[in-house]
Amino acid sequence: MKVKVVRRLYWDFEKEELWLNAMAAKGQALLHYSWGTYRFEQSRPGEWTYRIELLPELASKPASQEYLAFMADTGAQTVATYLGWVYFRKLTADGSFEVFSDLESRITHYKRVLALFVSACAGIIPASVVSIINVTRGELTLGFVLPLLLAILLSIAALLAAQAVRLARKVRVLEAQKQLFE
Amino acid sequence: MDTRSLGMGTATMPAENKQGPLTETAYYVLLALHTPLHGYGVMQLVDEMSSGRVNLGAGTLYGSLTTLAERGWITPVAGVAGDRKKEYVITDAGRRVVAVELERLEELRRNGHRITKGEPR
Repeated sequence: MKVKVVRRLYWDFEKEELWLNAMAAKGQALLHYSWGTYRFEQSRPGEWTYRIELLPELASKPASQEYLAFMADTGAQTVATYLGWVYFRKLTADGSFEVFSDLESRITHYKRVLALFVSACAGIIPASVVSIINVTRGELTLGFVLPLLLAILLSIAALLAAQAVRLARKVRVLEAQKQLFE
Repeated sequence: MDTRSLGMGTATMPAENKQGPLTETAYYVLLALHTPLHGYGVMQLVDEMSSGRVNLGAGTLYGSLTTLAERGWITPVAGVAGDRKKEYVITDAGRRVVAVELERLEELRRNGHRITKGEPR
């Protein structure tokens, strides 16, 4: 079987999901994901629908495994897991595939992703600031390597922060909607 | 002595009537589980009952089943050995919750019809 390998990095899981479904529509079905590497197998165009979810715990934990077994019973295959992230797929012929069907569970999921970005940001920024202070005091000198590393870390933090703002906005919109609807 | 409670008289409702509205998901899951079913069975039955209007997401359903079981409104059925699919069924407590909710829904429906048809209060 012909396997296509694509290397990509997504910050936005919904854009990633759209891309995976666009690929599936073209007959490229995701088979495996690990560290920004996507492997696709050929399938009938539109055979599969993909969904991405962030679990409350690592995918390897028993509670997560129980959930994945439940999902499997409903026809949703686990294609890949990556830390707490899961890539599901379901045969399009089996009907529409949404993991969440009400506002409450969608909000809970967005908040979980938001918390992940916030904590990642919170991890990077203090470490960077401490390093900068040490460098300016001349206590730490690594030539150009450290400033470069810092620049990369701070760029990542900025990207994460932008994602967090985007997610917080989504949560706000859904919560306003929840005033009137389920 | 709490004097406020004296004056309430007939206004005091039985605790059950103060039950908040159920979500559509919880209500339909409780209805579906009047016969023992596993998760996928619930999804299919609810889809059928609502003529395809309510497509329960598996993630949403999982959360609902977990919470309803914690409340004791549904309970896992002792399954056949070797079958790892967990079946659930409604409990007596769950049936009482549905009965109270049904009364509330009846009230909503009654008032809705009466007022939109322009009948006097």
